[in-house]
Amino acid sequence: MTIDVVFLFLQQGVASGLVIGSVYALIALAIVVIFKTSEVPNFSQGEMVMAAGYIALYLLVFRSMPLWIVMPATILAAYAGAALFRRLVLNQVARANGSPVNLVIATLGLSYVLRGFVRQTGFGDTPRSFPPVIEPQSIMIGQAAVTTLDLVILTTAVLVMAAFFWMFKYTKIGRAMRAVGMNPKAAQLVGVDLTRIHMIVWGLSGGISAIAALLISPKVLMTADMGSIVTMGFAAAIVGGFTSLPGAVVGGFLIGIIENFVGLFISSRAIVLAPFVAIMLVLVIRPQGLFGGRVEIKKV
Amino acid sequence: MPDLLELTGVSASYGRIQALSGVSLSVPEGSIVALLGSNGAGKTTTLNAISRLVPVQSGNIRFDGKPIESMASHRVVEGGVVQVPEGREVFRDMSVRENLEMGAYRRKDPKSVRADFERILDYFPKLRERLQQRAGTLSGGEQQMLLIGRALMARPRLLLLDEPSLGLSPVLVQQIFGFIDRLNKDGLTILLVEQNAAVALSTSSYAYILENGELALQGASKELRHDDSVRRTYLGH
Ligand SMILES: Nc1ncnc2c1ncn2[C@@H]1O[C@H](COP(=O)(O)OP(=O)(O)OP(=O)(O)O)[C@@H](O)[C@H]1O
Ligand SMILES: [Mg+2]
Repeated sequence: MTIDVVFLFLQQGVASGLVIGSVYALIALAIVVIFKTSEVPNFSQGEMVMAAGYIALYLLVFRSMPLWIVMPATILAAYAGAALFRRLVLNQVARANGSPVNLVIATLGLSYVLRGFVRQTGFGDTPRSFPPVIEPQSIMIGQAAVTTLDLVILTTAVLVMAAFFWMFKYTKIGRAMRAVGMNPKAAQLVGVDLTRIHMIVWGLSGGISAIAALLISPKVLMTADMGSIVTMGFAAAIVGGFTSLPGAVVGGFLIGIIENFVGLFISSRAIVLAPFVAIMLVLVIRPQGLFGGRVEIKKV
Repeated sequence: MPDLLELTGVSASYGRIQALSGVSLSVPEGSIVALLGSNGAGKTTTLNAISRLVPVQSGNIRFDGKPIESMASHRVVEGGVVQVPEGREVFRDMSVRENLEMGAYRRKDPKSVRADFERILDYFPKLRERLQQRAGTLSGGEQQMLLIGRALMARPRLLLLDEPSLGLSPVLVQQIFGFIDRLNKDGLTILLVEQNAAVALSTSSYAYILENGELALQGASKELRHDDSVRRTYLGH
């Protein structure tokens, strides 16, 4: 491998890595915001992405709706679905038995339900492709080849993340979410309605998953198992420290870039290993993740 | 004075552990009433039943004449019943300012919220110096002040105080209780939970003593201070 090729691969790896990484970052963000506010890893996050993808596909292809209706409708549907799941199912489970394990099992249950549902409808039988939002045209950035679609994906993801961070940091509802994450009891004592906040957090997480689905669907073949992309989201979240929102974003981009480097420099067959290698490296070098705070000892 | 808060036969449990059985007490408007008892007697549970953090099994809780025993916790806060919890229940990673602002979460009168903010910082000049500091890095005494300040930001009509003296030096205890006295003189009604019976009995006008989740004794604080059994068990002399 000559130095020229290395240089080319580096540029291409970073460019492609940032594009796919921005989608991983969105999924990681959706996972972490739920974990931060309810300490439940949501194992149905991938299926939320998948289900949102199929909602969009259904509206667009089978209902012939225009894209400008399909997109907000899909995001709204995912928001409502996730918020209702939190309200109707998880609240019931939490009331019946407070143990977090049961909540995790309930999210696993949802993932099976969603996958089963898509299989039932027959939609998922044949892998389908989602028509791209815009016709991809090739452009060069430095020596890296990307498409206009790639740029749209990256820009949209970054804007969505920026909006989310602004909401989380500066709005009253965002502050309430942070309060619930830090100390749910104190949040209740100042008058935060926990049920409402949990619904909104799940809704936002569902909405972000839907955006990730809309961005990634034109680039992948859609199947009922496309939710497995969530592996990358979880890897990104773990690399970032699992409780850090900025960590999730950085983790997402890192995983995307590492994945592309592995594909370019080693072998495309080794790509599946990339997230696990990244997780192991981080866990060995910095067990709390890149952005994970000091390990706090809880008072008992 | 009419009772601002009234509990009648309140019971509460955590699974199989019966934490409260048939507790009745009342807090007249404008008074300081103390709730005493040793570790695990059920004092915190009583406050949490009022704040609607633990479910009430049976009995009634009335605030300002209206039943609140099946209200949601945020509605109780909105109604003016605000708790200062025991321990260091601040929002650790938020600044002192954000913590205080969180106290006014349910209020919709931004102008008077700002006025209250200034007034509370006048009460606690220490907090003013540290508005930008992360709450988790405050000392124990400062966190206690922050908790009281946060509760005041909700503009309470009834303040539920859970062991404000816990872990504080005698000087700070005096300071905090001087402050509690002042709030009361300014018209705030207070239900005070304490293990430090000496201080609590000299601050309050009436007191209840809990043992194993049941009321064991009650009376005017002045008289309880001279009661032999109280002196032996709770005052240690
Ligand atoms: N979350 C809980 N789960 C199970 N049992 C609990 C819980 N909280 C309190 N208890 C039990 O209920 C009883 C009353 O507890 P509570 O906290 O009300 O006591 P307390 O009077 O406030 O004590 P302290 O002075 O130590 O704060 C105790 O036996 C305690 O072990
Ligand atoms: Mg207690």
